[in-house]
Amino acid sequence: MQSLGKTCGKVSSKNLLFPWALILIAVLAVICCVSSPVAADGDAALRETAQRLAERVAAIPGLHGALRLEWHPDAAWPGGESEPWIRVIRDEFERRALNLTGDASAPALDVFAAETPTHLVLTARIRVSDHDEIRIVSIPRASLPPGASPAAPIRLERQMIYESPDLILDAASLENNGEGSLVLLLYKNFELVALRVDAKGVVKQSVSLNAANLKPSRDPRAEILPRGNMVLVELPGKACEFSWESPVVLKCRAEKPAWRAETQLTSPCDGSDWKLFSSSSEPNAKDVLQVVPDGALRESSAAVLSEFPGPILNTNGEQDPSSALVIAQNLRTGNYEVYKITLACGN
Amino acid sequence: MRFTKSRWLAATSAAVFALAGFAAQAATPRYGGTLHVKLRASSVSLDPREWMTGSLSSAAGEKLASLVYDRLVTLDDHAKFQPGLATEWSHDATARNWQFKLRSGVRFSDGSLLNPSDAVVSLQIALGKGFEVVAIENGVAIRAAHPAPDLLEQLASGRNFVFRPLPDGTLLGTGPFFVAESIVAAPSEVNPAAIKPARIKFQANEGAWSGRPFVDFVEVALGEPPLRQLLDLQVGKADITEIAPDLVRKGRQEGLRIWNSAPRTLVALRFDDALDAPASDQLREALWLALDRDTMANVLLQREAQPADSLLPQWLSGYAFLFESAMNLQRARELRAAFPAGVPGATQPLRLRVDASGDLFKLMGERVAVNARQANLLVQVALPGSVSNSSAAATGLHLFAWHYDSLSSRTELEAFVKQLLEGGDLPANTTDPEQLCAQERRLLDERRILPLVLLPEYAGIRANVHNWNASPWGDWRLADVWLDSEDPMTTKAPAGPQKNTSTARSPGARP
Repeated sequence: MQSLGKTCGKVSSKNLLFPWALILIAVLAVICCVSSPVAADGDAALRETAQRLAERVAAIPGLHGALRLEWHPDAAWPGGESEPWIRVIRDEFERRALNLTGDASAPALDVFAAETPTHLVLTARIRVSDHDEIRIVSIPRASLPPGASPAAPIRLERQMIYESPDLILDAASLENNGEGSLVLLLYKNFELVALRVDAKGVVKQSVSLNAANLKPSRDPRAEILPRGNMVLVELPGKACEFSWESPVVLKCRAEKPAWRAETQLTSPCDGSDWKLFSSSSEPNAKDVLQVVPDGALRESSAAVLSEFPGPILNTNGEQDPSSALVIAQNLRTGNYEVYKITLACGN
Repeated sequence: MRFTKSRWLAATSAAVFALAGFAAQAATPRYGGTLHVKLRASSVSLDPREWMTGSLSSAAGEKLASLVYDRLVTLDDHAKFQPGLATEWSHDATARNWQFKLRSGVRFSDGSLLNPSDAVVSLQIALGKGFEVVAIENGVAIRAAHPAPDLLEQLASGRNFVFRPLPDGTLLGTGPFFVAESIVAAPSEVNPAAIKPARIKFQANEGAWSGRPFVDFVEVALGEPPLRQLLDLQVGKADITEIAPDLVRKGRQEGLRIWNSAPRTLVALRFDDALDAPASDQLREALWLALDRDTMANVLLQREAQPADSLLPQWLSGYAFLFESAMNLQRARELRAAFPAGVPGATQPLRLRVDASGDLFKLMGERVAVNARQANLLVQVALPGSVSNSSAAATGLHLFAWHYDSLSSRTELEAFVKQLLEGGDLPANTTDPEQLCAQERRLLDERRILPLVLLPEYAGIRANVHNWNASPWGDWRLADVWLDSEDPMTTKAPAGPQKNTSTARSPGARP
């Protein structure tokens, strides 16, 4: 995601004088910015916050000599998120001629990190002569890059292939339209939207399904079935169909939805069938996906487990019978994520 | 005026947490049933205009009002503001001029359409003098007298609900429920010596813009004593109850499912302004040094509270850890020994009035008196309602409870000063945490307020309650809760004979 942001910058600076290039730039810029604004802005926000703290610390009168940087995240701070902060803060302090050392006898420059419901608060504390000097800065948490997903030990091969701040109701792979292409159903601002994204997660097409008149719901349910260039969307009490080529024409008919049956995987080793179970139906708990041999009870000793960073919301089979798509919410970031899971032999 | 679009947020409301599990494996949310809730407060106002900032009764009111009314924006658990009645918002570079576009087609529970003037009327009262709220095309503009980068925090919390006052005093809301019935406390038909608690029955709003809630009704019984609530939860007479901090341990030992929020209530001491300086300065300092907050939190409150060293809690300010209140009895005794004649607490007892009601606060008052005695200070506890607690006799010290209402630390600190520290410096018009911290330090150094402990909010939740996803700051989000199955308790007739009860139309009721 970081590299996409950099690409945007490069293109716009090199082709400024060519009208056709400008059009291309505009298109690319839209795609770049729509697909990954958070990380690019987030990295800048992180650095800008560290800069402000470093400037304030550097301006403390009477501060001289080598200092030992001590990082104190609050108890809820995920371990993986400390490293980029320490690196950037160290960087910014050193840029302002603050002499940082690992020498344990040097005076401590303590930096505390805490989260409020809306902000991240960084506090620097340093002893100068006979008193503590305190400097505090804060930044809206929403403007920071999402933390790295916890890397759960997996016995099932798993890869995150798409994430969105909007609720993802369903995902399906496109059959013959390039490897890795996805179609997604999003519930955005209480409206249904179908997306077509390429293998890099770039949105190629977005179709509003307002015409389906989906009633606002606290448990929106919908399934998407790509059929060549057509897309069938199953909704409570109706089924709607549209084509990517003429998406404004949405044909709906009343019918009892044929929700798909449970997702199954087929072992590539012996052809046996495996079923998927989630461990919890609660919205604020991490889910453990259990892949269990068909016929065995869930939590059987043969189950293959994979922990997700939040509740699992939906699953869907893939063309490859050993793979499936899993939609989960990441409780740390609040984003919705689509994973491709694959049953692999011997793991 | 040049507006910088700050955020075009994609909306995934709290409702999304109510998602069904995948395929047929996970439990499917169920619509229907009555959720039985029991609260300690004996009466609750659903009119945000009547709430007193920081009071525990307004906290109960806010909890129930969120069933009936909506806000312009909400805050999710991931620090993102989500659209509520406003779908888009923007502000200028100074953060003084804000614009909010209202969601179209939103209806009040009587079927009438929400319009910008409704938001203007509600928010102008809630936001107060420093703001001017005006209707614009499709929405409202809010102009602040000073930069208000924390306006979204304010709008997502406290009394900033949108409602429509009707001529008869009723308030209409657009929320997921409306008040179907409100019954005041009355003598029981069976045993007239006993009082039947007040009840409010909320009914699902089928046309709610945010989707119909899962349960058909939420029935709230008020004025239930803490131990009774716990027992009702155990025997299945309640689905959700408040749990007093001193009963949490008992509840846990008995295997109850207990949820807690971040600390929402500060228990603290406040000196009367009538005390003369500089003599009272020594008294304040001596008492501050004598207080044993750790024992209060860990023994009296059985580790279900936190010792408080600051006015704002760490979860709200992010810097509260910088404040320390170390007990120092030796120094307290030295100060006491040097008291000039006539200082209260020396030869004449200092009267401590317990302003907050409940056994817990009485115990805390008594603990303060014990701590004071260890430093040779005389403190006499006066309970609410007692003769010695009348205002005439109550000069000295107050033990009070302050409920944090706002998600903005600046707003909360300002409300605290306005409400409790007459003549105290209001915080600078800034959201800079360094300046707020300095301001808070000045207030604490005056020793007019001595923080004691911070109390989280505890709730017991019956096993049949699903999708409980309360926010860390105490919003219960009951519209997203669903119940396992119908049970006899939820299907019985909701109201008894009307003979001895008076039914009142409560604010928020559909006319």
